[in-house]
Amino acid sequence: MKAKHFVWIRRISQSFFLIFFIFLLIESRLPLDIYMDYSIAITAEQNIELNYPVTFFFQLDPLIAFTSFISGHQWIKGFGWAIGIVVLTLFFGRLFCGFICPLGTIHHLMSFVRPALKGQAMIGANQKRPDHKFKYFILIIVLLAAILGLNFTGLLDPIAFLFRSLSLAIFPGLGTGIKEIFDLMAQSDIKILNHISYGAEIIVSPVFGYGYEAFKSAWLIGSIFLIILFLNRIRPRFWCRTLCPLGALLGVFARFSILKMEKYSEKCTQCQLCTKTCQGAASPIPGLEWDPAECMFCFNCFNACPEDAVVFKLKWPPKANKAPDIGRRAVLGGLAGGVSLRLLGRLDGRIHKVSDPRLIRPPGAVSEKDFLKLCQRCGLCMKVCPTNAINPTLTEAGMAGFWTPNLIMLQGYCEYTCTLCGSVCPTGAIHHLSVKEKIEGPIRIGSAYIHRGRCLPWSENGPCIVCEEHCPTSPKAIHLKEVTYLSGDGKTIRVKLPYVDLNTCVGCGICENKCPVRGRPAIRVMAAGESRSVKNQILLGL
Amino acid sequence: MKLTLELGRKSRFSRASGCGMMNNDPITRRESIKKLLKISGGLALTGMTAWPFQRDLAAFSGSTRQSFVIEGIGRSHEYSVKALTRKVFEAAGGIQRFISKQDVVVIKPNISWARAPHLGATTHPEVLEAVVELCQEAGAKKIRIADHTIHDARRCFAITGAGMVSKRTGAELVYPRSSLMRKMKIQGHRLDVWPVFVPLVEADKVINLPVAKVHVLSGLTLGMKNWIGAVGGRRNALHQDIHMTIVDLAQFFKPTLTLVDAIRIMIHNGPSGGNPSDVSVSNRLILSNDPVAADAKAADLFNFRPQDIGFIRLGNKWGLGTYELEKIRQSKVII
Repeated sequence: MKAKHFVWIRRISQSFFLIFFIFLLIESRLPLDIYMDYSIAITAEQNIELNYPVTFFFQLDPLIAFTSFISGHQWIKGFGWAIGIVVLTLFFGRLFCGFICPLGTIHHLMSFVRPALKGQAMIGANQKRPDHKFKYFILIIVLLAAILGLNFTGLLDPIAFLFRSLSLAIFPGLGTGIKEIFDLMAQSDIKILNHISYGAEIIVSPVFGYGYEAFKSAWLIGSIFLIILFLNRIRPRFWCRTLCPLGALLGVFARFSILKMEKYSEKCTQCQLCTKTCQGAASPIPGLEWDPAECMFCFNCFNACPEDAVVFKLKWPPKANKAPDIGRRAVLGGLAGGVSLRLLGRLDGRIHKVSDPRLIRPPGAVSEKDFLKLCQRCGLCMKVCPTNAINPTLTEAGMAGFWTPNLIMLQGYCEYTCTLCGSVCPTGAIHHLSVKEKIEGPIRIGSAYIHRGRCLPWSENGPCIVCEEHCPTSPKAIHLKEVTYLSGDGKTIRVKLPYVDLNTCVGCGICENKCPVRGRPAIRVMAAGESRSVKNQILLGL
Repeated sequence: MKLTLELGRKSRFSRASGCGMMNNDPITRRESIKKLLKISGGLALTGMTAWPFQRDLAAFSGSTRQSFVIEGIGRSHEYSVKALTRKVFEAAGGIQRFISKQDVVVIKPNISWARAPHLGATTHPEVLEAVVELCQEAGAKKIRIADHTIHDARRCFAITGAGMVSKRTGAELVYPRSSLMRKMKIQGHRLDVWPVFVPLVEADKVINLPVAKVHVLSGLTLGMKNWIGAVGGRRNALHQDIHMTIVDLAQFFKPTLTLVDAIRIMIHNGPSGGNPSDVSVSNRLILSNDPVAADAKAADLFNFRPQDIGFIRLGNKWGLGTYELEKIRQSKVII
């Protein structure tokens, strides 16, 4: 096999995994065509689950598996794949970065298809730099904070980062734009435009969402993603070289790789083509020592070298390669940073004193302390939520819970018999409940309360029973009492006043969502009463 | 009363033709059908020729105009819901009396809640399936099932069985979305302009397929109330004058037929229910071409006098139909 073949195998593999990633991302939603045989539906509550293993890439990610283990002390579902990647790395180095990682592929495309730098500038950008140590610093912070019980791996883990950015910002952003066009066409008086819009929408919405998907603070998620993409114009694969904690972890494991670079100095003409095409700034040029911790095995140097002075070979038995250049400062700084972040993260008192009343976690979420150990902030639960209720937090969960899921009932509500968020959570921060468990538990995510000053019947503004009508529990958690009042013009008006029964309320929020009092509804849900918390309760209990 | 209603109708059409052409203006149901036929080419030819004849036929033949209400009762052990549906239509003179060849038929079931069929919150899927099949046998060109659901529509379609019906029969299940809500002139007593779910107005024939259940504000959820599921907009504000808005909507969406599914009726915790104990088995179907009579007959199952239900009383008052069932043809089918 020639070097060219290696490069093509890499390209095929990269394309395959990128397409597969985007396919699974698109499939992380409730499809339109779910058919349930009603003769079965008549006998029992059915669990609706997705047809595809949408968490596959999260299972593949050793950093997610590892931090979930050291932090939450549990092996996540399918962690065998991650172990497979570690074994692969032990023998063949950072093949994951060069061959599999979908975010790496996007960076590769950004820096390869129309490179911003030419000639000497590119050669200069591909030199080894001290700031490459920064990723080890991030890795150590993440690992130490995880050990101490605050896991924010997902903020910078490439799989979680890419999933969150695409599913919460890029796809909904495009989808909203497209849907606006469709709605405009549908409003038109030209019939053919209406029909084009109806038809095209049905084709497009499975990809971009069935309505106007909205995620609070998604503008920030999207902006950060675009900035990170832009960094490729300063230095190719800036993210992979300088920021990626997964790259750093795999770099450490690459020490004993048996797939090695052989350099023949005598053949080298110092043309620098290898350095110019190097993705990882791994010093491929003869004369410098090859850096296996930085090399992503893209085989560009192997392919570019006209003299065959740079060759990859398998060498058995394994012998230690050059150690990753972590540096004492990155280690000490990382340790200090990890401890500090963990301590700062608790300062808001959300764990020990009182949490935000509007921080409503998805049904089946573990207790807040454990939740911060497991949640990767990947956005999968937010993407699958059929009512678009689950949003990334900005401040509700404090710094420690930045971008963790939170239900915003004005935007959606928790469907009584829906358990999708738990069924897709890659780390088990949200339990995989069955419909039966959710209803019969019952799993409460909060409690509703009525603001009598705004409620239409309570404030003598006329009849309304919308909250009671929508209440999904049986018996209903909202009951009514009929009263009469005298209106301004002397008429006797009969209304039904709503009351919430805290024993039955599960906090699903459909009452808040459907309340005709907009902006700040007259019935709202607060987190108090949530099943996952021992402290955050109202009633004495049984 | 009758006179004012006629006048009202006249003005509805004259106004509509005056301003409907402007972009983004609300248009009436009839006008939108006309436009659809005019613009969609080949379809227009068949449509324009067939459509006026059907209306004329309907206007002159006394038998189709005569109101009737048919009650189907499944008394035998393990009777088939589908067979009962067929029998009820046979008693009305066969589906061909109402659905013509090449018609676009839209069926409006109540599949608002993502609840399994046995919980009685939604139209029985077997009734829905039987009606779709009957329309297919009558030669309908296109059959659509349309409901603007309350819970997420994908989950409603799956759990209520409507998705399976659509898959088995090939009827089109319309996904409710913002582009399909269009402002139209309801011109009712309470509602003037309101967003309407487009498939229900772009149809030759509409069949209303409600499920019978209790409702805390309107008393009962029956055929006329089912039209709240055919509009968009701020539906949660309709409850502030529920009976009048129901009648306004029922006057706007005049269905060809109403078939009330009372195979099992929800007697507690309506309209969403959620527990099999909220449901009582009644084994009945009520078919009528008079929306008020259908509801009046169904109200009987809950031991309500029709005039005690506000929207039935108002529907009768405004000439939408009659709740005095002795005045119309009544029959019973028992299997």
